[in-house]
Amino acid sequence: MDKQLLALLVCPVCQGKLVYKKEQNELICKPDGLAFPVRDNIPVMLENEARTLTADERLEK
Amino acid sequence: MSESEKENQTTHFGYQQVGVEEKAGKVAEVFHSVAAKYDLMNDLMSMGIHRLWKRMTIEMSGVRQGNSVLDIAGGTGDLTLKFSRLVGKDGRVVLADINDSMLKVGRDKLLDKGCSGNVEFVQANAECLPFPDNTFDCITIAFGLRNVTDKDKALRSMARILKPGGRLLVLEFSKPTNPVMSKIYDTYSFTALPFMGKLVTNDSESYRYLAESIRMHPDQETLKGMMEDAGLSRVEYHNMTSGIVALHRGVKL
Repeated sequence: MDKQLLALLVCPVCQGKLVYKKEQNELICKPDGLAFPVRDNIPVMLENEARTLTADERLEK
Repeated sequence: MSESEKENQTTHFGYQQVGVEEKAGKVAEVFHSVAAKYDLMNDLMSMGIHRLWKRMTIEMSGVRQGNSVLDIAGGTGDLTLKFSRLVGKDGRVVLADINDSMLKVGRDKLLDKGCSGNVEFVQANAECLPFPDNTFDCITIAFGLRNVTDKDKALRSMARILKPGGRLLVLEFSKPTNPVMSKIYDTYSFTALPFMGKLVTNDSESYRYLAESIRMHPDQETLKGMMEDAGLSRVEYHNMTSGIVALHRGVKL
């Protein structure tokens, strides 16, 4: 995942900051509880394609 | 809006009425179907004139070295390719499209043309763009706004992420200004286009949708008003090919 692009992207729902999780290859928005996938090196910034975070994921730091 | 109200709301998909929630999926089917032959079909259908429309868009964009540009619904990357050369190594071009098939065709094409380093790809919906406020010097949407479900929301989203002084350019089919041209164009669109679509992509329905969606799209003055309502200033438009296509430009002040 390209670092420059990562620095530019925000959550499409709340425009808040995203955290990139390398292991899952996802961009996380904690407040909205959404994980946006990166497929074939292209971030998929669509709410309806995002995974809903589990309660544990939302709580962990 | 409650969920039940949302379910009852309809919008147009070409001449059909469909649920607001359904339109994006139907548009997606069209573009998954045509992605591989998209460039060829554009050349055939417009007899190559789409290249001139796009060149005019580049000229009106005022984009220069070091700028940040967003090409929304950038599809197969015609504008991105030209912007990438204009902004140089200190600039940046982001190609965004809601459709992954189109993005992949675009990325392959840009790589083939030796365009890399300053271009990024993002799958995004024009109605809720994933960028911070005041990010881009220029945003273009060429033959894309027509397919967006909530156009006002999309225009507001674009205005939000433009830098002050940044320009939004909307290149889109519009209303022919000449009645004779309008007749010829109608006949051409509803007979020749679906026929060519059938021959090249074995999909006449997608090209019928194209012709219908063009007729449902707001005309020059209506779109100008919508851009002003979205917060853009000094909005003006230029008709091309007798108004078959119009290029609207607005500035964020």
